[in-house]
Amino acid sequence: MKRRSFLKGALAGAGVTALGPEAFAAGQPVDNRKISSIPFPQKRPMITYSDRPPLLESPRYVFAHPVTPNDMFFVRWHMPDIPTHIDLGTFRIKVNGLVERELSLSVDQLKHDFEPVEVYAVLQCGGNSRSAFKPTAGGIQWGSGAMGCARWKGVRLRDILERAGLKKEAEWVGFNGSETAAYYETPNFVRELHLEEIGDHVIVAYEMNGEDLPYLNGYPVRLVIPGTYSDSWVKMLSNLTVTSDYQHLFFMDKAYRVPDNDCECQKPGEHVPTKPITKMNVKSFIGYPTNGETLYHNSYATIRGVAFDYGAGIKAVMLSFDDGKTWQEATLGDDMGRYAFRAFTYDFKPKKYGKQTIMAKAINRAGEEQPFAKDIKWNHGGYKFNGIDVVTVEVV
Amino acid sequence: MKKTIFAALLSLGALNLHAVLNEDVEVPYVPFEIKMGKHFDLVQANCLTCHSFGYILNQGKQSRSFWKEKVEKMVDAFKAPITKEDQALITDYLAEQYGNGQP
Repeated sequence: MKRRSFLKGALAGAGVTALGPEAFAAGQPVDNRKISSIPFPQKRPMITYSDRPPLLESPRYVFAHPVTPNDMFFVRWHMPDIPTHIDLGTFRIKVNGLVERELSLSVDQLKHDFEPVEVYAVLQCGGNSRSAFKPTAGGIQWGSGAMGCARWKGVRLRDILERAGLKKEAEWVGFNGSETAAYYETPNFVRELHLEEIGDHVIVAYEMNGEDLPYLNGYPVRLVIPGTYSDSWVKMLSNLTVTSDYQHLFFMDKAYRVPDNDCECQKPGEHVPTKPITKMNVKSFIGYPTNGETLYHNSYATIRGVAFDYGAGIKAVMLSFDDGKTWQEATLGDDMGRYAFRAFTYDFKPKKYGKQTIMAKAINRAGEEQPFAKDIKWNHGGYKFNGIDVVTVEVV
Repeated sequence: MKKTIFAALLSLGALNLHAVLNEDVEVPYVPFEIKMGKHFDLVQANCLTCHSFGYILNQGKQSRSFWKEKVEKMVDAFKAPITKEDQALITDYLAEQYGNGQP
């Protein structure tokens, strides 16, 4: 067989098995979206997808640092009515259901009657980077800034449950926040956790980076579940109900789910059994330089970014300057705990002029590593994208 | 003197931190540029009750069946009281203005 005809045959074959790359894969998420000129309360201007409910994304440069400032931290609510006034004098977190003692706790009681704990943890929307999927997956077409890392301070959820005393039939805890729908019949944004999922790392947080939680990030208290996607981190937490049986819930049963198969993927239009998105997969993101930035020939530039996973911890971040043919190891920053952003840096000296791509790939301690974006298979909700990040700069 | 100023600044900082506590928070209105088209009035009447136009146009271009399912989800899952007739016309608008040409 002549080389040319062999290639032709191979290409046709690949086309058949892969259904065409565009039909069943991912590219790079949309980047460099315009920052709105309208700032939200306690926030600097951010990429703004909606004002009601508020949906705000952090621009790329925020991820040049391992701690995301509160006023640049992404925002995602589900319901239109968020209380616009919270009086700490009357605000209570209620604990009821299958408990020995019902509790009604003020934020002050949370702060003073329990042992305070702190954890650096990444909060990431399950649909972060959704705009990478082709064809367009359902949902807001987020770039990659629907994530952030903060130092959360609060109380262990276990300590609260212990104070209430669980009855022996207790199995599940349902969490309800203060946001409400426009219609009475709309299901509340409730999440449930099985008691087995509630380790010491799960906290009810009242502080973020040393300040009260910003209003839009769930003031005065929110659930913090390190390692898992943010759909479970209920904001403006007002009620915990302990039950013996799982209560059927829209947001756990219908939304925030991926195909229940090894690739967590499906063909567009195909209906398959699904499972909830829970543990975050390994991911990295370059904060500097950003797309379109100018670097200087033969002159050092420090590439900066962050990497994280579900809590195994980051082992290495590798960078490529030749489209993934060879990889160089970046220097990791301080380890702020297994749920935190791990900063990485690399002193890069561009040796050629013109367009230069920079790729970042994280590898965790469990040996899991990020795939190329083109190898990520499609799912209907555009969830859990963790393709290798690519930034293109101009070397002059 | 220096000490007093510092203390005053500190307490001012503490006040700012609790600003949320003392007054109503105002979330700004963002004028998203939505496309005008046939049956836009129904979109305005039925969809804006729960979400901004940004929530529509930031879904990207989608198939007619995607938009049909979204409208049905608003009714079935979120209990929006939209008549069958309006559902069909809203779907037409969405497929027309934010469609990708797919059925």
